[in-house]
Amino acid sequence: MGRPQNVSLAEAIGLIKDGDSLTFSGFTIWRRPMAAIMELIRQGKKNLHLMEVNGGTHDDMLIGGGCVKIWESCWSGHELFGKIAGNLARKVEAGELICEDYSHIQMLYRLVAGAQGIPFMPTFAALGSDILNPEYDMLGKAGLRDGSNPKIPAKKYEMYTENFTGAEVALIPAAQPDWCIAHVQMVGSEGTVRVLGQKYADEEAMKAADKLIVITEQIVPEEFIRREPEHNLIPPHLVDYVVELPWAGHPTGCFGAYEADGAFIKDFFTKTRTQEGFDAWAQEWIFGVKDHEEYLNKLGVSRLETLRASAALGYSQKVKRGSR
Amino acid sequence: MASNDYAKVGEFKPIDLLAVSAAREVTDGEVVFAGTGLPMLAIMLAQKTNAPNAVCIYEAGSVDGRPIDLPTSVGDARCHYQASIANGLWDVFGQLQRGGVDMAFLGGAEIDQYGSVNTTAMGGYSPIGKRLTGSGGNADINALAKRTVFIMIQEKRRWVERCSYITSPGWRIPKWPNGEFVHKKEVYNKAFRGGPWAVISNMGVFHFDDDGVIYLDTVHPGFTPEQVQDNCMFKLNISRVSGETKPPTYNDLDLLYNTVDPEGIFLP
Repeated sequence: MGRPQNVSLAEAIGLIKDGDSLTFSGFTIWRRPMAAIMELIRQGKKNLHLMEVNGGTHDDMLIGGGCVKIWESCWSGHELFGKIAGNLARKVEAGELICEDYSHIQMLYRLVAGAQGIPFMPTFAALGSDILNPEYDMLGKAGLRDGSNPKIPAKKYEMYTENFTGAEVALIPAAQPDWCIAHVQMVGSEGTVRVLGQKYADEEAMKAADKLIVITEQIVPEEFIRREPEHNLIPPHLVDYVVELPWAGHPTGCFGAYEADGAFIKDFFTKTRTQEGFDAWAQEWIFGVKDHEEYLNKLGVSRLETLRASAALGYSQKVKRGSR
Repeated sequence: MASNDYAKVGEFKPIDLLAVSAAREVTDGEVVFAGTGLPMLAIMLAQKTNAPNAVCIYEAGSVDGRPIDLPTSVGDARCHYQASIANGLWDVFGQLQRGGVDMAFLGGAEIDQYGSVNTTAMGGYSPIGKRLTGSGGNADINALAKRTVFIMIQEKRRWVERCSYITSPGWRIPKWPNGEFVHKKEVYNKAFRGGPWAVISNMGVFHFDDDGVIYLDTVHPGFTPEQVQDNCMFKLNISRVSGETKPPTYNDLDLLYNTVDPEGIFLP
């Protein structure tokens, strides 16, 4: 596809099938495609397979919604607003979620290899960690490394002594998820993608996936975004679908646009430690609203205005963050 | 009251001493990896006191920021303010693996006598144990930084002979795929750069001996070495205690409460 298609969020998410593998933009509670996560839950997706550099509020919510079968990553939680990913922890402890642990570098390198089209990346990272304990190869233990799923490599990793200098490295297999769902600040009318602020592992995630859905705070004239191509991250021919949807990262933060809504995330964390709690929360915030617009209306203008970022700083100074 | 005199017991809180002790581990000019929470207080305080030329890298991708508001996590837009570079994980973890990171602040739920740390699951791996966050960069950073400094809660169940799950490799670690316990040098060989250097708890400051075994260096005011031992599952070396941890100075406290964290995000 030479140029991406502009679609609605419901249309984009409707293309994702049960059992598909997904990765996302962002970092912990920053620039996550939250409206898409809520729409995945609303559409009742099942058995999704997440492969991500790290988790956060988005994957904890998707897991709480019963949409996920396999989580391959290195971390999940809500930063200051929830010390663990409560839904993920509950499902792992109940044996309802297969959790394959890697380290940050290892998981990043899986997507790097996927983005570069090579089968693996070598690294020194995390040698001597139980991440490499063969007992803890959870996909292997579940019998899922038998080659029947092309998205699951035959081994979790391999130790290898290279012949250039004789160094021993771990080879980490490539990950090429079916989909990347990214949330960004700006996309040109023809599909050029610009990310402001820290880039996290966005480029690797977007290029590793077979298909890319970009959700953007705004679509701007292509002529404008091409005035400074050095500030752009992804060209249109690598983008499949574009959804224009302001505030679609809420409650996570989006540099230059809005602050992370810590109070909202803390409330989510506190109320969803049990499945009953999650279901009640989802009834109010996901199933109780028709779409993202209704969700924003429920949040209300004054809440959103408090979160709106200062043009000078890229974040909001209006949010009360501490005890003083 | 701002001066370089030491504050007296009762004039500072345990968390102040944690932050100040951690800040004092930074040497001026070092390249420092810092994570979410107390490490942010420590590096920002160090840059305003003993290490004005320290370079702070946050693992989400910002380098050498000069935040005017305290970030609450490494992905925070505040990390970006006046940074020299706002890039991503590929850039900064590459610098780490290349050997360019001098020291790093880390934390954990469980620590063993060799400075290995567990942030993945307490009491057994999934689905048996209690699931925590997972590694994040902890395993990478403890593996590849020249010196790591841990900030830990001193509780008996958290200070163990061997971590129930080694997320982050310390001085004596399993060599996979067979799993025999060996010195870190035998696992990393040419990529060996160092490892755990110090642990700061709410009761004392610890360092590691030449064999990579932790020992108590200083006790915080109000505690005895025996009390620290009572809060460890393993036999702690208390024979090298060099004295009491120096309290914060009035200047440290002024900076912490009025400049670094005036909103009371991590401090009370």
